[in-house]
Formats: sequence, C-alpha cells, structure tokens
Amino acid sequence: MFSEESVVRDVAQDIDIDLEAALNPAEAEGTFRDTRECAALALIGGQGALLLSPPTPRPTKKG
Amino acid sequence: MTAPYADEVARAALRWVRGHRDDFALPADVTDPRTPVDRTLKPLGELAQLCLSIRRATPPDDERHHVAAELVDFAWRQTDDGALFLDLLRAEPFATYPLEIYAAFAEAGLRHPEFERLAGAVLRTRNWRATEQDPNRRLGILNTERRGGFPRTADPAEALERTWLGALPEPWSFERPSGYALTHTVFHLTNWGAAPHAVPDDLARYLGTWLPAWTDGCLEDQQWDLGCELLAVAASLPEPSDPTPETAGAARESDESVWARIAEAQDEQGGLPEVGGRPRDFTHCYHSTLVAAFAATLTTERTAPPPRTAPLATEPLDGART
Amino acid sequence: MSQSGLPPLTGAVRDLAHEVVSALRGGGHLAGSTALADDELGLAAVRVLGADVLLPATLAGYSLSPERVAAFRTATLAFPAAPGAAPVTAWSHWGMRRALRTLSGPDEDPALPDTGEPGASWLHSLPWQRFTHQLAVLGALALPGLPSEVATTAALRPVDLARGFVRAVRRRDWLQAAGAARWLALLDGVPDTLGLDTGLDFVLLMSDDDPRVALQAHAARHIRDERLLDEGLRA
Repeated sequence: MFSEESVVRDVAQDIDIDLEAALNPAEAEGTFRDTRECAALALIGGQGALLLSPPTPRPTKKG
Repeated sequence: MTAPYADEVARAALRWVRGHRDDFALPADVTDPRTPVDRTLKPLGELAQLCLSIRRATPPDDERHHVAAELVDFAWRQTDDGALFLDLLRAEPFATYPLEIYAAFAEAGLRHPEFERLAGAVLRTRNWRATEQDPNRRLGILNTERRGGFPRTADPAEALERTWLGALPEPWSFERPSGYALTHTVFHLTNWGAAPHAVPDDLARYLGTWLPAWTDGCLEDQQWDLGCELLAVAASLPEPSDPTPETAGAARESDESVWARIAEAQDEQGGLPEVGGRPRDFTHCYHSTLVAAFAATLTTERTAPPPRTAPLATEPLDGART
Repeated sequence: MSQSGLPPLTGAVRDLAHEVVSALRGGGHLAGSTALADDELGLAAVRVLGADVLLPATLAGYSLSPERVAAFRTATLAFPAAPGAAPVTAWSHWGMRRALRTLSGPDEDPALPDTGEPGASWLHSLPWQRFTHQLAVLGALALPGLPSEVATTAALRPVDLARGFVRAVRRRDWLQAAGAARWLALLDGVPDTLGLDTGLDFVLLMSDDDPRVALQAHAARHIRDERLLDEGLRA
C-alpha cells in the first residue's frame, strides 16, 4: 500500500531526475546511414547486355 | 610536431602488407574473362600505387622505403614485367583499367613499350574520350595519360568542375559515396599526394575547413577505410589539415587522437578492417590497411622536416581553376 | 496533444515546444491566450525549454498574457540551479532570469536578484564536438541583443560550430544540428560553403516535425531573416 502523499513525492522525485537529464543532456547516439547503390534504369541483362527497363504500366482510372 | 601514433600505424600496416604479400599474387587465369578483376588486378594495382607513393614520400634510409620498393618490384614481376598489360589490352582493347593500373609502374620507370604502342592507338580514338565514367574517375584517366607520357585528351580543370568536390557541395551532405568521390578527386589531382600544390585554393580552403568533421563521423561509425582516405587527403593539401584542429582558446583532445583511434582499430599484425571490427579476411582488410600505411606515411612525412629525396616526376595535373 | 510512449516530462516539453512554435509562426495570438500548465510537470517543462518559452515576445515582439509570464516566473523560482550544477543548467536558468527582466522592466524582482553570469570558462577548453553540443543545449541564449560570455565565446569559434553542425547532421542528431544552426544564424565568420539556409530546411524536414527541433530551426530562421534584412538596409 502506498499513501497518496508518497506517490506524489515519488512523481516529484522522478521529475527531478528527468529534469536534470533534460537540462544537461548527454549527446544522442549517432545514427549513420549511407545512400545505397541502385542501378535504377540501367539493368544489366543476363548476357551482360545493357537494357532499359520497360515503362511501368500505369493503372487506368475507371469511372 | 611529431606524430608517434601515425608513425606506428604506418609501420604496422606496412608490416601487415608485407606479411600478406602473396595474397596479392595474381592467379594463373587472370586474363580469363570469368576472373573477377576486382579481386585480382585491383588489389595488385592498389599495392603498386600506394607503395609507390610510400616509397616516394620516405627517405631512402627509412624501413618503409625499402619495404615499399620491394613491394612495387613484386607487383611488377606479377605482371610478368608488364607483358600482362599487353595481354589484357589485346583481350579488352577499350577497357581503361589496364592503363590505369599500368600508370603507377610507368611513373616508377617500369615500362612495356609494346603495350604503350597499342594503348596509344586506343587513346587516339574518339571512343576513348567518350567513355562514360564517374567524373572523378575521368580525372584519374587524365592523370593516367600524363603519367604514361600520352597526350592529354581533355582539360583537367573541366573534368574537376564536374566532380562532387568541384561543386563545393554543402558539407553536411557528405556520406560514403560522396566521400570516396572526393578522396579520389584529390588523389588524382595531386597524383596521390605527390603534388599538394595542385589543389586549387578554393578546394583547399573547403577541404581544410570540413575534413575534421567528416573524419570524425567516419571514425565514430568505424568506417576505417574512408577515414584513412580522408586523412590521406588532409596530408595532401598545400597546408596539411589538422584532423583535430586547435581553435581560439580551445585545447585539443590530443595531438593525435585520430591516429590513436586508428591504431586501436588495427589488429596485432597491423591489419585494419574496412569497416567495423572483426572478421578480418584479406578481402575486407587489404585496402584499408594499404590506405592506412599510405595516409599515415604522408602524415608523418608532411609533418617531418622538408623531403630529403628528390621526388619522382610530379608535374601536377593542372586542375587550377582560378 | 499528448505523446504516448514518451516519459511524461519529454511529452510535456514537446507539447510546450509545439505551442511556442505555433505562436512564433502563427502571429503570436496563441502565445498570449494559452495558459501555461501550472502543475509540477508543466512547470518542469517550462524549466526545460527555459527562456525559449517567451520567444514569441523576446524574438518576434508579440505580447504575452500576464498569466503566462507569471507561470514562467513560478517555474524560474521553482527550479533554481543548485550550487555546483552543470554549467548548462546554471546558464539556462540565467537565461530565464534575464528574459524575465527584459519583459518586466528595470525594477529588480526581489525573489530573483541579479547574481550575474555563471561564468563560461568550461567552454573554452572544449574540443569542437563537445563545444557544439554544449552550445546547442544552450540554444535559448542565441538571441540578437542578448550579450553573454557564452555568446562571446561562440563568436570566437564560428568554424568549430559549423563543423559541429556538419557532424550533427551526419549523426542525424537533428536537435543538436538545429541548436548549432541557431548560433550560426547569429554569428559572423561562418564559412559560406556551409549552406546554412538549405541546411536549416533540411534539418527541419528530416526531423519529422520534432517540435523541439522546429523551435530551434524557426528561431534560427527568424534570426537569420532579421540579419539579412539589417544587412539589406545597411547596404
């Protein structure tokens, strides 16, 4: 059983802890990501031939 | 200024390369169309180029000078004293890579006249000038032509304009692909660190300003290969760029914190993975280890007293724009 | 707008930042009308954003309701910097006291006496990475016409801050990038090749509308626009 008072006090202490971290934050972990290589339209065919991909069929609008 | 960590990195990396010399050896079927050139000729060509640069940067009584010279000779013998280049070109006359690899040997005075005659004929075609390539590689071709003693087929200043670096892009857009494009632009422009003064002023200022930020990111992300290439670029500028710059009133972490981090990433034999930690097989280790030896040597020799040896022919690739 | 899944204080700070950005962008009418939450969480959120809570007034010149200023004062009183607190904690509290004085005129508030600047010697010895991080945390002090030893130190190292911005973007630390950009917007001597304007847009859009990033980025834009206008008028 917790008294209401102790719950309030705990919340206040939690805020104190959060607050110090928020006021003096450590540096965020770096996230590194690089562009992937994508040959895009230049598809290499099975025999080494350079092909362009055919146009993507467009869905036709109805109604 | 001394550079004990860079010196240590260079020597350990070169020991690794010498210890793995036979892994650079070409297979008997190297001209077979099914043999992947990126696993055979590319490593050997890089061995020749970077060891030539190390040899050129170091005085004759330096251990690195001897080792690098030995390795250049080893690579030349692997090509059967250049005869391989003629075989390659007769098999693939419109490929640029045989001449690109040959150029390092030619600059070292190791030549094959018959290969050069055939290459000269290919170079005179309109096709040669029209070959579609990344702009930084086109700059490399122009340096290749110069080193091989061929007439220049395009204006290097125009080729430079078309590179990523030539556009002086927003430095916060830097990432791995643009990073490799920029390091190679500088390598070709300066003939692999031999002609720092060939970097135009605006590029030199740009690089000097932003290299520390880019290098920091590469090392944090454990991109050792690109990190070392950037350190080689830093040592190839008219005024070498300090990777841990000292600015108004601020202390630096350490003279050499960057090189200390590279040294820490090396294994006991001196090998450096391209990215991350282990595993470190030859394929994922040789390039970064070679580049570490090259970059660290340029760094120690740029910070050392003026060169004590006459450099090989280093007429800069004239890329100056202003 | 409550943010599920976040620690309560983080959510409260984001909500408050969102509100300040709206006020800064939307003409200020919100800033005067919305009451600040005066429960402990709400006051803690005010303490975290610090002087930036008053940005619609201090940067854009909009008027704020007396209730809002009073709640800000309560937060300033409730969370002083303890003796021996981290320099950034002491400085953000200084920024709040300073903003209150700016808004409430020359008469000294007896509860908040002017104790002077906390001292910025810790900044001098920091390498550029850490320097930028600390300055970004203190983005609220980057304001035109707000001299401080922190601002003086920042003005000595614009290239370091620009490098720190580049590093922060590469690490995708948008909040640090935006905080650094706000100082860069204020300073002379920033290398032209940085591309601060497009960089600000980029950071703002890449951060997926993080309100704290938006707050720094919009403040930076505001500062930059004002500077460009001043330069235009002088020319």
